[in-house]
This record gives sequence, C-alpha cells and structure tokens, in this order.
Amino acid sequence: MKALKINPIVIILINIIAPTMYIFISGRYLQIYLVSFATCLLVLMGRFKRILALWIVYALMFFGYYFSINVEGLKFVGLFLIVLVQAVPCLALASILITKYNSAQLLSSLETLHVPRILVVAVTITLKYIPTFKREFGYILESMRLRGIKFTWKRPIKSFQYFIVPQLFRCAALAEEVTAAGLVKGIDAPVKRTSFYEEKVTALDISILTVFAVGLIGGFIWR
Amino acid sequence: MALNVITADNLNFKYEESTEGIYDVSFNVEEGSVVLLTGNSGSGKSTLLKCLNGLIPFVTDGELSGDLLFTGDKYSELKMHKLNKSIGSVFQNPRSQFFTDNTTAEIVFPLENYGYSKAEMVKRIDELKEEFGLSELLDRDIYTLSSGERQMIALACSVSMKQKVLLFDEPSANLDYGNAMKLGKIIQKLKEEGYSIIVADHRFYYLNGIIDKVLFMDHGKLKVCDSEEEFKNGAYDTRSFDIFKLDIPFAHSEIKSEVVAKLENVSYKNILHDINLKLNKGEIAVLVGNNGAGKTTLAKAMCESIKPESGKVDIKDVPFFIMQDPDYQLFGTSVINELSLVKDDIKEIKECLDYLGLLPYRHKHPFALSGGQKQRLQIAMAMLCDRDVIIFDEPTSGLDIYSMKSVSEEILKLKEKAGILVISHDYEFIRHIADRIVYLEDGKIAEDFYLDENTLSKLNHIFIKMQEDRCNEKNQD
Repeated sequence: MKALKINPIVIILINIIAPTMYIFISGRYLQIYLVSFATCLLVLMGRFKRILALWIVYALMFFGYYFSINVEGLKFVGLFLIVLVQAVPCLALASILITKYNSAQLLSSLETLHVPRILVVAVTITLKYIPTFKREFGYILESMRLRGIKFTWKRPIKSFQYFIVPQLFRCAALAEEVTAAGLVKGIDAPVKRTSFYEEKVTALDISILTVFAVGLIGGFIWR
Repeated sequence: MALNVITADNLNFKYEESTEGIYDVSFNVEEGSVVLLTGNSGSGKSTLLKCLNGLIPFVTDGELSGDLLFTGDKYSELKMHKLNKSIGSVFQNPRSQFFTDNTTAEIVFPLENYGYSKAEMVKRIDELKEEFGLSELLDRDIYTLSSGERQMIALACSVSMKQKVLLFDEPSANLDYGNAMKLGKIIQKLKEEGYSIIVADHRFYYLNGIIDKVLFMDHGKLKVCDSEEEFKNGAYDTRSFDIFKLDIPFAHSEIKSEVVAKLENVSYKNILHDINLKLNKGEIAVLVGNNGAGKTTLAKAMCESIKPESGKVDIKDVPFFIMQDPDYQLFGTSVINELSLVKDDIKEIKECLDYLGLLPYRHKHPFALSGGQKQRLQIAMAMLCDRDVIIFDEPTSGLDIYSMKSVSEEILKLKEKAGILVISHDYEFIRHIADRIVYLEDGKIAEDFYLDENTLSKLNHIFIKMQEDRCNEKNQD
C-alpha cells in the first residue's frame, strides 16, 4: 500500500484539538478513540514502527499504572502515569511532524493558519530543535564517557547537572545563531511569504479531519 | 571610477557592559572587489562584519555611532530585510548557519520570505545548480553533508536572490585544505562576475593573488592596505599567504620506542580499510587527509567509540580526546572543579593553570571563558590526565597566529608524557608540531613518514594532491 501524504496542518490541528477535548469528553472514551485514531492514521502513512512504539509505550505505562495504583506509597506514580498516558497518542503523531516533514514544509503549512509570523517561526524552531537536542545529547554522553565521568544514581543531581548544563549553554548559543541565520535571510520581510512546497489542503486532509470530528462528536453522545 | 558599495566613515561600536568594540573605522568597498578583513582574535573582525550585515544594532545591543552607507543609503534608514536582499552572508558555524534542515528548503528559504513565485524559485534553483554544481546536493539532509558540501549550500543560499555583495565570516575554519583552495577559486570567479566580496578570516592563503584591499583590525582600530602587495610588505605578524615557503624548524625529536597504541588490520564499514598504525610515546603524529577520508573514524576506533568490523585495536586505556568544540566537553562548575574531575590534586592543578595563564580565571564557570581560554582548559585537562594517548581534533581551526603558536608549544610539551595523535588541515600548525605524518586517503594509509628536511616535499605533495582532488571533483559536477 502506498503511504499517504498528509498535510502537516492536519496533524497540528489534531494535536491542538485532541488534548483540549479532555475537558469536555469522558477521558476513557477519548483515550480509546485517540489510540485507535492515531493507529489508523499511522497505518495510512505507512509508519509501522511508530505504531509499534506507540503501543509498547502505551501498554508499559498502563501496566505501571495498574501495578503502582494498588501499592500504598506508590499511588502518586500511578496517578502521574495515567495523566501522562493521555498524551501518548498525540505525541506519536507529533513525532511524525519532526521526522517526516522538513522545517520549510512546517513553516508553510503553519502559515496557512494565519497566525502571526513570530509564532510560526517560534513553533517551527522549537519542533526542529528536538532532533538537534537528541544529536547534541549524544555528543555530550560520548564526551562524558571519554572524560571518564559516569552517571551515578548515588549523586543524581550532580550527574544530571553534567547532562543539562552543557546542553543549556549550547541551546542559548544556537538560539542566537538561528536568529541571525533567519534575519539575514529575510525572515522579517513584511511581504506575504510564498512556499516552494505549497502544502495545499486536499480532499484527503478534509476527510481525515471530518472523521476525527465525527469521533469527537461521538464522545459527547456516548456521555 | 568604480562605485562604492559600502562606505564607513568614523564608525564606532561599543558593546554593552564591555570595553570591546571597534573605533574610528573608515573604509570603502568598491564594486567588484575582494576585500580581506583580518586581524587577531578579539580584534573586532566579527563586530565589523555584524555592522555590515545589520545584525548590529538589530540584534546585538551597544552604542553605535558614525556613518555606514550601502550604495549611498544610510544603514540606519534601511530595514534589515531590505539590506539583506542585497547582501548575502556566509557564517562560520557549519551547523547553525542554516535555518532549515533540508538543502533545497534552505536555498529557497530567502526566496519564500521575500515572496518569490514557485516558478521563479524553480528557475533560480536550476541556475544555482548549474553555477555551483549542486546536482548531487539538492533535497538532502543538511546534517549528512560534509563541511565542504555545506559550505557550497551556504554559498548558494547567500546568492539565491542575486545579492551582489557577499560577506564571509571565517569560511576556512571548518574546511580542509582542498576545499579552502576550491573556495578561493570560487571567490575569484564570483569577483570576475562582478560580485563585491568581503572575507573575514585568520587564514588567507586561499585568497593569494585575488585581494584588492586588506582591512587589518588591531584592537578595535583599522588599518587599510590598498593592495595585497602593500599588506604583504607591511610585515604584519599574521598567518601566511604562501604556506609552502614557510621556514620553520622541524619538531622531529628522539622517539621513545614504547608503543602506546596499536591498530592492526582495522577495517570499518566502507570507511577504513586495513589500517595498520603504531603510535609511540613521545611522538606527535599528524593525521592528514581530505574531509571524508576517515580521519575522525580512525580516532573513534582508537577511543572505542566504534567497534571495527575486523582487525584489532590494542590500547591500554581510552585515549583523552580533545574535541574541536570545547562546549561539549566542559562539565565542571568552575575551572578548578573542571580539572579536579580529571585529577584531584589541587597543587598540580594550580601549577598547570599557572603555566597556561588560566590562574586568574580559576573560579570562573568554564562556559564564561572565551573560546581560546576554553581550549587552554581542554589542554590543561590533557596535561593532568594520566593517559598514554591524547587525540586532538582540529585544535587550530579559527585560531590566529599567536594562539596557534601557543597551542603548538603546549602540545609539544604534552608529548613528554604521552603519544599524541592530531587531526589537522592546518599546514602552518602541522609544520610547528609534527614528528610524523600519516596521510589517509579513501580510508587507507597512503603515506606514513617522519617529517624532516628530506621528507618535507612529501608533505607538500600531499597538500597539493588534496587540492587537485577537490578541484577535479568540481570538474566532474
């Protein structure tokens, strides 16, 4: 089956709408619905490994919840997990935004939402910072190994500091450099931005959003 | 008379909360000329460049006074986006000068911002593909490109809107010799096409013969040389124009016969093939080769960061690896604390800091140090560690002559206690430190010899070959 090409805006909208629905719809219904919906969408996009990861993480977190909720003193862990698990399907979809689309595609599709340019740029940089963070984290871990500095649970705060401090400094430097890179390339030009990738909203995108909306309406009826 | 594209008259800039800045800077850049902006670290090159691309005062705060004109219009009356439609910038950092992560997306990014139509963008990409030989580089992940390839993309981006003025900030810092020479040829071609080019760099051998004017920054003040000859005759203590004519004594000294690292028939993927290398205590072996030849992979195999598919790495302890970017390697809360993570001996730490001139900064946070101080801190770590093998990855990229010479002296001192492997493209630096040259070509050791007056021609030949290889690549595009 050929993987479908979905406009990133569809995934962004789903990620904005889905979490807010927890206020209105039964949590259990929404959870089951979101996992099923995310799975179907990932099948359509041909992201089978991602589905497996989604299910494994989901199952592990639920297992953790059932295990800890019945143990006095660990209840808080269970409650913590049950809150976190609600975000897993959305995160699985959001991760596609980072891996499948490049920054230019994200920028273009976000622009169709008619939100201010500054917000569009901030969201794009944030999303694309995640792989950078991962890469830099790898360098730091390798560097710790070469320096002979080990992570130890005996001194967790100290060990944690080794990971975080260099990362924060890198982050500050990168922020400045990326701002400069954007500015010298005319990110502040007050003209309507065009797009090389032209992410047009297709019939497929509308159908996916319709199915998503119908499912959410189902939640209101189910209650 | 040629038109002045940029004119500075009595330009001053002082950073907030600092005495650093540029003072009384006056010069002009004529249309179609190549201007070299040079000077030692901290002399104000980057500050001047930031004034020219508008980042000062738009992003960096401070006091700016004096006149700066672009084709007769005052900078202060030009908006950033208007200015950058005419001026293209190529930054130093190979990672963060890109806004997107895809080569094609990056090239069209300015065009999109300025509202070009899709048809115009497609046409422009085709033109740039032709001009810079980008056919193999389009629609690729920028992070998977080599530094030379990234430079080509950065260059293509900077002229994507047919900007006629180009600013380069230390373009050679991350390029191998071949790529730097190739860049020199491209700059010459752009000059012939009528571009006005300003290159800020410590190293300028790749611009030999094509410079029209030199702006030499010295502690924030500017000296203008109206020709390359005038600068050459001015006897400024800088990096060389003609690196092969340098007269430097050979570092080669008596080598102890104690082998500290041994690689036997090491092969890894398609990168390393059948590598045999013995490193002795007391010697500095310099690994040379174009980017992509496998130098870093070889160092990684020695550090056990990768496991060779065949062959054996025989090494007692993990080598101390000094990365090119010190920011990844600093974990302490102060300079003293950083070194105590290596060796908890305060007396020795203080002696070492004193030797390297870091003692006044001992209580500072490592990240609050300047780039050069951070590098000396890395060297301090190497001095204190009790390891037999120390590896340096490009320790002199972006260093001026003074810093390069002091790093050389420090590395020479280190060899008393360990075997040292240095990865470097920097010919001048190599001449200062190398006992031995190991030339890696396509993952194989093509040459391995001790450097002295008899073998110097071999080293020169290697550098010339590296340049030819790069230039032939271009012809194939």
